[in-house]
Amino acid sequence: MPDIRIRDLTMEYSSGGYAVRPFDHFDLDLSTGDLALLLGASGCGKTTLLSMLASILTPTDGSIHVGDIEVTGLKGADLAEYRRRTVGVVFQAFNLIPSLTAQENVYVGMRNAGVDRKAAKARSAELLAMVGLEERMHHRPGKLSGGQQQRVAIARALALDPPLIVADEPTASLDYMQVDGVIRLLRELAAPGRVVVIATHDERLLPLADRVVELTPRPTNETRPPERVELAAGEVLFRQGAFGDLVYEVDAGRIDIVQEMADGGENQLAVVEPGNYFGELAPMFGLQRSATARASADGPAVVTGYTLRDFRARRGEVLQ
Amino acid sequence: MIAIVVTSLVFGIALAIDGMRRSVQSETPAIVALFGADQWVVAKGATGPFTTTRVLGADTEQAVRGASGVRRADAVVLSRTVIDAGSPKDANLVGHRLGGLGSPPISEGRAAKTSGEVVVSPGVSATVGRQLLVGGTPFTVVGKTSEGRYYFGIPTVFMSVPDAQEIVFKGQPLAMGIAVTGTAKPSADTAVLTNDQVVSDLNRPLAGGVQSIVVTAVLLWLIAAGIIGLIVYLSAIERMRDFAVFKATGAPTRIIVGGLMLQAVIVSLVAALLAVGVSKLVGLGLPFPSELGVAGIAQLVVISVVVGVLASLAGVRRALTTDPAVAFGG
Repeated sequence: MPDIRIRDLTMEYSSGGYAVRPFDHFDLDLSTGDLALLLGASGCGKTTLLSMLASILTPTDGSIHVGDIEVTGLKGADLAEYRRRTVGVVFQAFNLIPSLTAQENVYVGMRNAGVDRKAAKARSAELLAMVGLEERMHHRPGKLSGGQQQRVAIARALALDPPLIVADEPTASLDYMQVDGVIRLLRELAAPGRVVVIATHDERLLPLADRVVELTPRPTNETRPPERVELAAGEVLFRQGAFGDLVYEVDAGRIDIVQEMADGGENQLAVVEPGNYFGELAPMFGLQRSATARASADGPAVVTGYTLRDFRARRGEVLQ
Repeated sequence: MIAIVVTSLVFGIALAIDGMRRSVQSETPAIVALFGADQWVVAKGATGPFTTTRVLGADTEQAVRGASGVRRADAVVLSRTVIDAGSPKDANLVGHRLGGLGSPPISEGRAAKTSGEVVVSPGVSATVGRQLLVGGTPFTVVGKTSEGRYYFGIPTVFMSVPDAQEIVFKGQPLAMGIAVTGTAKPSADTAVLTNDQVVSDLNRPLAGGVQSIVVTAVLLWLIAAGIIGLIVYLSAIERMRDFAVFKATGAPTRIIVGGLMLQAVIVSLVAALLAVGVSKLVGLGLPFPSELGVAGIAQLVVISVVVGVLASLAGVRRALTTDPAVAFGG
C-alpha cells in the first residue's frame, strides 16, 4: 500500500440545471512515496478529485484503486473504515473542533476508531510533538495561529497512520511566515508506504513535488499553424467539458453552440455564421469548454482554429 | 445554559402542576382511609357517603350495630360548609363519633372530647385554643391534624356527629352514611359500599379538574421538549461543519447520533434537577399542596430522558443528512 490507480474517471453533476463534467475519462497513477500536486484553475475539479480519493464523493463512472481497495465500490461500514484507516484528510479551513484542545482534536478521531483511551492519548501527544506543538497541545484552536492549527489538522490526519493523505489547499489560509513549517511537514510525510496528494494554487510547493498533475492546460502565448476542420452536418467539433487551446472562426456553413443539460436535454445558446468566431474563453482562461460546438444539422461546415496569439493578431488586438 | 434555565422553569411548572394532580389523587383515598372503615352503609340509591343527598335516619345506625358480622358502626355526617377565623373560607365538614371511626390522628393539641370542640386540618388558620365559626356556629379548636384535606385541597373541620347534625340538618338525627368495621349486609333501605367504591365516588367530581391538570402538564412537557429540541437543532446547524468532518473522517454514525442525544439528555436532566427547586417555589403560590415525592422524582428523570431523546431527533436527522463534502468548503 498504496499505489494509486485511477482509470476512466468520469464525474458529472448538475449545476444550475447544466451538466458539469470536471473529469471525463481521467487516468492517473501515483506510486508509494509520491508527493503529488494537483494544480489548476479554481473550479477545475481539484477538490472534487480529493473528495473522490477520500471516498466522500462517488464518481459517475470509472475506478479508483488505493492499493488493493476499490474505493468507488465502498459502502456502509467498509466506507467508514476506509475513511478512518486508509485516508487522512487535511482541510483548507483546518476544521478543528473549537471546543476541544489541540490534543483532544487529534484524540477524538482515534477514540472514534476504537483506539483505547491511554493509547489514543499517548499517540496524540506524540503526533503533536512531531509537528512541533508539544507546548501547545492543551490550547484550543482559537488560541493557535493558522499555521499551528494546520499542523494540528495534519497531526489529526496522521492519527491512525493512514497510507494516503489528501490535503486541500493546505497553505491557502496561512501567511508566508506560517507556510514554511507546513510545507516541510507535508514533504516529510511523503515517504515509502504513503502517498500525499495536495490540491493547491500555491506554486511554492512545486519544487517539493514528485508529481505535478495539471488538471487544466496553462494558457500559453505559443503559436502554431491554423487548423482547418471540415465537419459533416451534425458533426461535433468539441464537447462541453473538454479542454482546448484554439479559437475557431467559421469559414462556411453554420455552427450550433449548445449546452448539455443535467436531464439529458440541450439548450441552444447560439448559431455562429461565417465570419464570426467562438470558443475563445477556454484557451483564454485555461477553462474547460462550457458548451458543445457542432455543425448544424442542415449542412456541413468548415472552421479554422487559431491559437490565442494568432487569433488576437488576426483581430488586431495588442498582445501583452 | 439558557436552554437549561428556560427548560428548568417549564419543567418546574410542569412538576408543580403534576404534583397538584398527585396531591389531589392521593387525598381522596387518604380521607376515606382515615375513617378506618371496612365498609360503608348508605341509603339505597346513594353512590357514596361524600356525595349523597340521600340520608339515613338515626335508627339505621343502631340496626347496623346490632347486625351479625359488624364489629363497629358509627354514623358520619359529611358536608361542605364555610368557616370563619377572620375571613370566610370554604371547608369540608366531617361529623364523627368522638373517639370512633373517623376520628383524625392528632398532630397538635388533643382530640375533641365533647360538643363545641373541633379538630382542624392544614389550611385552617385558627390555632389551638382559638374560636372558629363553622357554618355560623362558634367552636373551639382543640387540636390539629396533618391529614383530612380533600376536594382539591379544601381544609376539613372534624367535630362530633350531633354538632355536625346541628349545622347541616338543624339538629335532626340524620347521617350521610355509617362507617363499619366487620361485614354489613344491605337492607331494604340501605346499600353497602366498599372503600374502593367510596373512593371512586369521591373522585368522580374531581375527574374533570384532574384531567385538565394532566393535559396542562403534558403540554408543558411538550413545550420543554420543544425548547430542548430547538436548542439541539440550532446546535446541530451550528455544528454542521463538525459533523461533516466527523463523517469525512469515518466517525461511526452511532457516535454522531449518540453525542447529540447525550447533549439533549444532559440538558434535560440538568434542567430537571433545577426544576425540583423551581417546583418548590411555584408550589408556594398554589392554593393546595403540590406533592413531589420519590415517585415524582423518578417520573421526572424518566420523562427528562424521554424528552431529551425525542427533542434530539430533529438535530440528529440534520446531522445524519449533513454532506461530508461540506468539510471541504473553504
